[in-house]
Amino acid sequence: MYTCKDAINLLLNFLDGEMTPEESRHLKEHLSGCAPCVDFLRTYKATPGLCKRAMAQQMPKEVSAKLTEYLRARIKSAS
Amino acid sequence: MSDEMSDEAVKEEDRQLVARAQAGDISAFEALVEAHRDKVYGLTLRMTRSEADAAEITQDTFLSAYQHLKDFRGDAAFGSWVHRIAANNALMRLRHRRVVQAAEEEIQGPEFTERGSLAEYPLQDWSRSAEGKILDAELGRAIQGAADRLPEGYREVFLLKDVEGLSYEQIAEVTGDSIPAIKSRLHRARLALREAIDQFYNQGSAGG
Ligand SMILES: [Zn+2]
Repeated sequence: MYTCKDAINLLLNFLDGEMTPEESRHLKEHLSGCAPCVDFLRTYKATPGLCKRAMAQQMPKEVSAKLTEYLRARIKSAS
Repeated sequence: MSDEMSDEAVKEEDRQLVARAQAGDISAFEALVEAHRDKVYGLTLRMTRSEADAAEITQDTFLSAYQHLKDFRGDAAFGSWVHRIAANNALMRLRHRRVVQAAEEEIQGPEFTERGSLAEYPLQDWSRSAEGKILDAELGRAIQGAADRLPEGYREVFLLKDVEGLSYEQIAEVTGDSIPAIKSRLHRARLALREAIDQFYNQGSAGG
């Protein structure tokens, strides 16, 4: 029987769809009897999406103006 | 009714712009820069945590993209190509910088009992509230703080995979690490971030 620790160690492979049939069977067995791990799985799965949104950044206007200027100068001098 | 173009439409427009830029049309290249600069700057800023470095690496990235435009083959998306150049440049910058490393033992994660059961049961399932349109600003800061506390190698992998969307193979290519090592670090990074989000959602109900 898998423990919570065993189950949680497999979550990345589970979400990537990369488990052996045996691991998959053990994990299913554990999840069917362990509600906390089911919640854990749901929140683990939601984590990357939340993080992606939290880490979003936009380029400030003055930085993009400088970028355009920089590239124009380089590209012009090269051609 | 979406105001964003579909992925395919964007890629098709990029393909046409690349073809024009390869033929010497500078305005087409500038349009490509405009379309991708936010993503490139975002990646470099997240990775280096320095606005000055991010601005500089973004400049280098697009200049190098321009200089290698001839080598760019149309079968890949322009966006992921510059993305990879940027990731490479940002990583090189990080490798040259001496950073104070957080110790691996300090990475947060779930706690288990001696028998391997979860020591603390999640008090609430917040995976649904994660789908809301607007991200709570405080939650955003909690996540950024947790990402900042990750040791560099873990933070890199998390950013490249979960934020930038690179594949394991691409990450292995830019970092030089093995795919199993990348996966194991990604898993621990996700556990730490999940823990931080969980604490955010439970700070009210847990009474602390
Ligand atoms: Zn369990």
